[in-house]
Amino acid sequence: MSDQVKDQLTSDHMEIYDTAVARRYFAKFERITGHLLRVAGEVEAEGRLTRTEAHTLGRYLAAVAGTFQALSHKYVMTGRADGAAKLTFDRHESGFPVAQELMMMALDAAQVAKHLGGMAAESELKDRMVRQIVRDLSVPTQLQFALSQRLYYEALAAGDIFWPRNDPDCQWVQDVSRNGAERKHFLVHWAVYDTQVNLPVVYLMDVEDSGKKPLPHDDRRWPQVQAHLMAQSLAGLKLLTIAQGFDKDFAGLHPKRLRRITLGPMHSHDFTLQSGPISKVLADAKAPDGDDWALVWTVEDLISDREEEVKDGWFSTAERQVYKLDPIAADSGTTRMERMVIMPERPYQVLAELNPPGFRDLRKFVVGDGDRIMPVR
Amino acid sequence: MADFETQIKESQAQVATAQAKISEITGKIEAARAKMDAGETAIGIENATLDDVHKHTDLMNANIAELIMGLDDVTAGFSKDFDEMRSKTGMESFIGIFSDAKSESMRQERMRTASIDSKLQDLIGKSDIIVRLLQGQLDLLNTQKSKVELNLGGTLTDREAAVTALETVRTDVAALDPKIIELENKISVEQDASVRTKLETELAGLNGRYNALVQDEQVQLAKSQTLERYIEKGKTWVDSLTNQAATQLVLINKLQTDTKQRVVLYDALTSSLKTAQQQDVAHRINEIGVKTDQEAQVAMAAIGAATNQKMADMLEAHEGHMVFARDVLEQKAKADERFARRFAKIVEKHDKNAYGE
Repeated sequence: MSDQVKDQLTSDHMEIYDTAVARRYFAKFERITGHLLRVAGEVEAEGRLTRTEAHTLGRYLAAVAGTFQALSHKYVMTGRADGAAKLTFDRHESGFPVAQELMMMALDAAQVAKHLGGMAAESELKDRMVRQIVRDLSVPTQLQFALSQRLYYEALAAGDIFWPRNDPDCQWVQDVSRNGAERKHFLVHWAVYDTQVNLPVVYLMDVEDSGKKPLPHDDRRWPQVQAHLMAQSLAGLKLLTIAQGFDKDFAGLHPKRLRRITLGPMHSHDFTLQSGPISKVLADAKAPDGDDWALVWTVEDLISDREEEVKDGWFSTAERQVYKLDPIAADSGTTRMERMVIMPERPYQVLAELNPPGFRDLRKFVVGDGDRIMPVR
Repeated sequence: MADFETQIKESQAQVATAQAKISEITGKIEAARAKMDAGETAIGIENATLDDVHKHTDLMNANIAELIMGLDDVTAGFSKDFDEMRSKTGMESFIGIFSDAKSESMRQERMRTASIDSKLQDLIGKSDIIVRLLQGQLDLLNTQKSKVELNLGGTLTDREAAVTALETVRTDVAALDPKIIELENKISVEQDASVRTKLETELAGLNGRYNALVQDEQVQLAKSQTLERYIEKGKTWVDSLTNQAATQLVLINKLQTDTKQRVVLYDALTSSLKTAQQQDVAHRINEIGVKTDQEAQVAMAAIGAATNQKMADMLEAHEGHMVFARDVLEQKAKADERFARRFAKIVEKHDKNAYGE
């Protein structure tokens, strides 16, 4: 029984064996991650993200790009050199590398000093390559592999990488006054690479702090808050569940708004398997290599409706949030959920022609000539 | 896991010894070749040495296979975590005597902070150490193999040349035979002493050349035979290296598949447990409003009891939704079969828990 379950759980994982395919995969993501930043800018311009939020999100997006950059170095020699590793990605409802790839990367990063210390420098490797080419008239595959690994470790050492867990950070926004009491408004943000859906997920939480010491400097609460939030960051949990659990476990902290931004899945006719209209759109588009993709990006938003005082034990009371839920889809556990799709012109053309019902109220961003981003209703 | 650490150390030491032995044999093969070039005919690779290496690599592989099996014991730690998530602690049970709701709420709070991330990382790390060990061994085997193969290629050409030379000598010898017989016949019928002497001198010359050629033939034959023996030994060695490399690949394959699947499974299980425990409760609380928190907590206890059933259902439903399972299943079956074939004995021992017998 357990073996069967295991097999099914990994059945949509797919390894890339071929050099050209691996390089194409990373080239695709290099383009996509570049566009993500522009889309974030667009959303900010529409006033739906504040400057701070856009800046925070931008940092995570840049980190995602950094991760792909590092992985592309690691896997550039896939299928060419002996012993070169192969990338495993999730080809169903994700298109991103499986979470284990990122966990491996985190392990590699922990040993980066050891690896870099024992390796020849880039210039030396290149010099030896030239010598092998000129003297032996052969392709220096092994040296190329060594250099690719060196670049990978250097990228890890340089930082700005999206790790499997990016622990919470806290930023002061403003002081607010509620019922005559002073509270500090913080933006707590963190990100995880969700291991179930294999996608990067960013969380933004607006918290009002009525504690004596400001949250980031409070050694009694802050480490606990961090551990709690990381342990609760599962794609399977509704925002309502996460927010309520947090509200309950930390008396002085009042989560007013919680947002979850899921960056993905990435659909591509050649790489991933998808069901529903998007599958037909991408198949009909017959787009050339660089344009065969569509990236869906989901923003879930949960806003507090009001605050109530409840008895907490025999002699004390606590403030609890009651959240506003979407009147139609109350089951979603969010106040509203918005999906956006980013795609190049060619698949968009097909999408506009087919006009499938599920896609009508999606926010669409079309990547035009010269990488301009056009918001389309 | 101190046990794992010691086992790793042991395996590392064994790999190092095996590698030294393998390199030594390749070194001997190369030295023999150098000696042959210098004209010596003795080859210093005996069957005994090859057997020794085989015995040692078998030992090493068995040890690594055990190490892979040993990961199972590492993962046993996970089930403890899962059990803890599903059941109540002593304190919680005690409080449950007085207030079910309070006890359940304590469990929920514990659940919210539970995380198996570090354990997963540990599992991946350990499996990675073993993979690296195996990969190192595989790389060595491959380089040794290509070295010996290159060497053998050269030797084969040499042998071809030796055989051709032998053939030429033999043809020459064969061509001399009728000439000698003809001369002997001529001598037996010749009456004139001076002509006879001349013929006899000629015969002596021919005989001399004949003897030289026969001697040459012996030398060429010996050379060809030495080369042949050398090639045979080399081939055996290449076969053995290929075989060993295949074993390494099977081990790597098995380990990577297993770890990959384990991580996903444990993660899915944790996620299911946490989700099932918390989700419905949150909704109910928000619907009823916080003042009736108490009421919701009673409901929570019921949900907690239903969790196990729900989880089983979820996993089943998952099964229905899964697509494209066949390819992976086949691959897995193949990897498992290969593993079982090669390590039947160790698996048997492990299953019977009969180590050290």
